[in-house]
Amino acid sequence: MLTDRHREQLLGYTMIAPVAIFLAALVAYPFLSAIYLSLTEKIVGYPAHFVGLRNYANLLDSGRFRIVAWNSAVFTVASIAVKLVIGMAMALALHQVVRGNQFIRGILLLPWIIPTVVIALTWKWLLDLFRGLVNVTLIDVGVVKSGVHWLGDPSLAMLSVVMANIWRGFPFFGVSFLAALQTVPQELYDAADVDGAGSWQKFWRITLPSIKSVVAVVTLLSTIVTLNDFNIVFIMTRGGPGAATHIFATYSYELGIMSQRWGVAMAASMASLPLVALLIVGVVRYLHREEE
Amino acid sequence: MSTLTRLTPLAVLLIVVVALVAPDPGPTAGAGKLSLWRLKTYIPPADKILDANAQECAKKAGMELAIQTYTFDDMWTKYTAAIESKTLPDIAELDAVGPARLANLGRLSDMSDVVGGVTKELGPILANAEGAVKFGGKYYAVPHYGIPLVLFYRKDILEKIGAEPPDTWEAIQQISQKVKQAGIHDFPNGFPWNRTGDGYDPAMSLLWSYGAAWVDKSGKFTGIPKGPAVQALKVVTSAYLVDKTAAFDYLSWSGSTNNESFMAGKITFTPNGPSILFQEESNKHPLQKDTAIKLMPKGPAGRNLALTFVMNWGVPVDGKQQKEAKAVVGCIMSRTQWMKYMTGSFQQAVPLFARPLDDPYWNTPNGKTIVETVKLGHPVGWPGPTTPAAAEVVSSNVLTDMITQVIVDKVTPEAAVDEANKRIKEIYDRLPVK
Repeated sequence: MLTDRHREQLLGYTMIAPVAIFLAALVAYPFLSAIYLSLTEKIVGYPAHFVGLRNYANLLDSGRFRIVAWNSAVFTVASIAVKLVIGMAMALALHQVVRGNQFIRGILLLPWIIPTVVIALTWKWLLDLFRGLVNVTLIDVGVVKSGVHWLGDPSLAMLSVVMANIWRGFPFFGVSFLAALQTVPQELYDAADVDGAGSWQKFWRITLPSIKSVVAVVTLLSTIVTLNDFNIVFIMTRGGPGAATHIFATYSYELGIMSQRWGVAMAASMASLPLVALLIVGVVRYLHREEE
Repeated sequence: MSTLTRLTPLAVLLIVVVALVAPDPGPTAGAGKLSLWRLKTYIPPADKILDANAQECAKKAGMELAIQTYTFDDMWTKYTAAIESKTLPDIAELDAVGPARLANLGRLSDMSDVVGGVTKELGPILANAEGAVKFGGKYYAVPHYGIPLVLFYRKDILEKIGAEPPDTWEAIQQISQKVKQAGIHDFPNGFPWNRTGDGYDPAMSLLWSYGAAWVDKSGKFTGIPKGPAVQALKVVTSAYLVDKTAAFDYLSWSGSTNNESFMAGKITFTPNGPSILFQEESNKHPLQKDTAIKLMPKGPAGRNLALTFVMNWGVPVDGKQQKEAKAVVGCIMSRTQWMKYMTGSFQQAVPLFARPLDDPYWNTPNGKTIVETVKLGHPVGWPGPTTPAAAEVVSSNVLTDMITQVIVDKVTPEAAVDEANKRIKEIYDRLPVK
C-alpha cells in the first residue's frame, strides 16, 4: 500500500517524465552520440569502429586543423568583443532615449530577426569586388582607385566575415543589456550625482556592476553561437581564400558531408567543447556566487 | 479526482507525441509509389521536361512518382542522411562520384540490364563515362548526361587587343596580361581555384594536361609527380602573384559568382558549364554577341580534360520496387524521351551514349565545342576509374588547396605538392583501391 508521500513522489516523477524524456531524446542522446562518434572511425554507410582518442590526436597533428582552430578563435573573440562594445553602446543610448524608444529598438532588432542566409548573401554582395556597394562607393568618392579585395585578401576576408557576424549579433547584446539597465535603481545614480560622480565613474561603479550577470550570460550564449556559426562563412567565403576563413563548422562540414568522415568530423566539431564547458562552468559558478 | 484520472490527459498527450515522432514508413511503403531525387540545374526549362518525362515513364510502369530536387551544394547533405537512415530514394540521380561511393557500400542495384537496353537505342556508352559507373564488370548506374566545363571568353576584347583565342594555360596568362595592360579589365583571368566545381574541375584538367595525375591506370595511388605539377602550379599561380591578372577574391567565389562576373562584363575568361549561354540568351543579354566558348586549355601532356559534372541514374537497394524503378530509368533514357530532354536543355545536357552526339542538334559552333569537350573528358580519378578514394580527393578539395596554398599561404609549389601528396596518400591508405 502506497503512502501519501510515496504517491506524491510518484506523481512528481510522472509529471516530469515527459520533459525528462524529451531532454534525453533531443539533447542528451545527440550529444552523447556525437561524443561517441568522435571516438570512432566512422565513414558514412559503414559501421563505426572505436578508435579511442585517435581522431583527436590526428587533428592535433594536422596543420590544417591548427589553422582552423586559430581562425575559429579569431572569428569568435573578435566578433564577441565588438558585439559587446556596440551592444553596450546601443543599450546605453537607448536607455537615454525617451521619445520613439520602442520604434528605434524595433529597427535595431532587425539584423537579429533577418535570416542569417539573407544577411550573409547581402554582405557578400555589399563586399563584392566589382559590383559591391562598398567598393563602388569607395571608388566614387575617391577613397580608393580600384576595388578593395574584401573577400579575397586573407586578413580582409576574416574581417569581412567578422563584420557580418557582428552586424547580425549586436542587437541581441543591446536588447539584453537594455533590459538589464532598466532594472538598475535610479536612486543609485541620484546618490552618485550628489557625490559628484561623472558619467564614466557612474558607468564603471554602478551600471556595469549592476548588469554584470546579464553581460556574462549574454557573452557566454553568444560565444557558443558564434563558435558554431556556419552560414555566414560558408556563404561569404566557403572558408577561403585558401583556408583563411575556414572555421570549425565549415571544416566539420567538409570532413563530415563532403568527405563522408563522420568520426573525424565529430572530433573536429567537439574540439572546442572543453573550452566552452570551462566557460559555462565559470559563468555558472560566478552567477551562483553573485546570487549568494 | 484520483491520480489516475488526473494522469489520463498526460497519457493521451504522450501517445499523440509518440505517434507524431514515430519514424516515417519511407517513400516506398505504399504500393505503386516511387521516389526520385534529381539535380536542380541552372536550366529550369530542361528540368521541367525531365520531370514530365519521368512522370510519363512512371505512369507507363503503373507507378506514382514523387520527385525531390537538390543542388550541387546540398546534394551530399541529403544523400549522407539517406545513406545512414537507409532511406535512399527508389531512383537517384547521382553526380560523378556518387555511383562509386554507393556501389562501394553495396547500396546500388546492378543496372547492367538497363544499360544494355539503353545502348540498343542510344548507341554504345562513351568510354570516358564508363569509369564512373562500371565497377567489377557491372554497371551500377546509367550515365544520364554530362555538363562539360568550357572556357568562356570575350571575343570582342580579344579582337581589340589582337589576340587569338587561347589554347594553352600559358596563352591565357599572356592574353590576360595584355588585357590588363590595355586597361580593359583589372583582373581578366577569372579562374577560381575555389571549393566548387568551377575550381576542382579545372584543377584536374590543369594537372592532367601537365601529366600530373595522382593514380595509375588501375586507380592505385602513385603520387602527383612533382616536376610537372610544380610547372603547372607556377603557370596558374603567377596570375595571382606575379602578373596580378587574377584577384584573390576569385578564390572565395561561389559556384555562380563567376557567371555573374562574366555577365557583368568584369572578366575576360572563366571556366563554366554552358549555363552562361542559356542565361544570356534567355535575358537577351547585351554581352551575348561578344561571348564565345572554347575547349579548356591543353598542356605539355595534351588536352586531358576533366569530366566532373556527370549525372547518372542509380537504383538504390533500399527500394522495394527496384524492377519498376529500373523500368522508369530505362524509359527516361529511351530515345524518344531522351531526345525531348536533350533538345530542350539549351545544350547543357550532353549525352554520354554515342548516337545522340551525332544529332544535328549539336551542329552549331558552340554545340560542336560542347560535344568535343565531353568526348575528350576524363572521369574523376583518371587515368584509373572513379574510386571512393578519388572521389574524396576531389570532395576534400586537396587539389585546389594545393593551388591556394601557393597563392594565399605563400608556400612554395614544391612544398604544396608534397602536402597534397601526403593528404592523398592518407586518403588512399584509408580507402584502398580494390
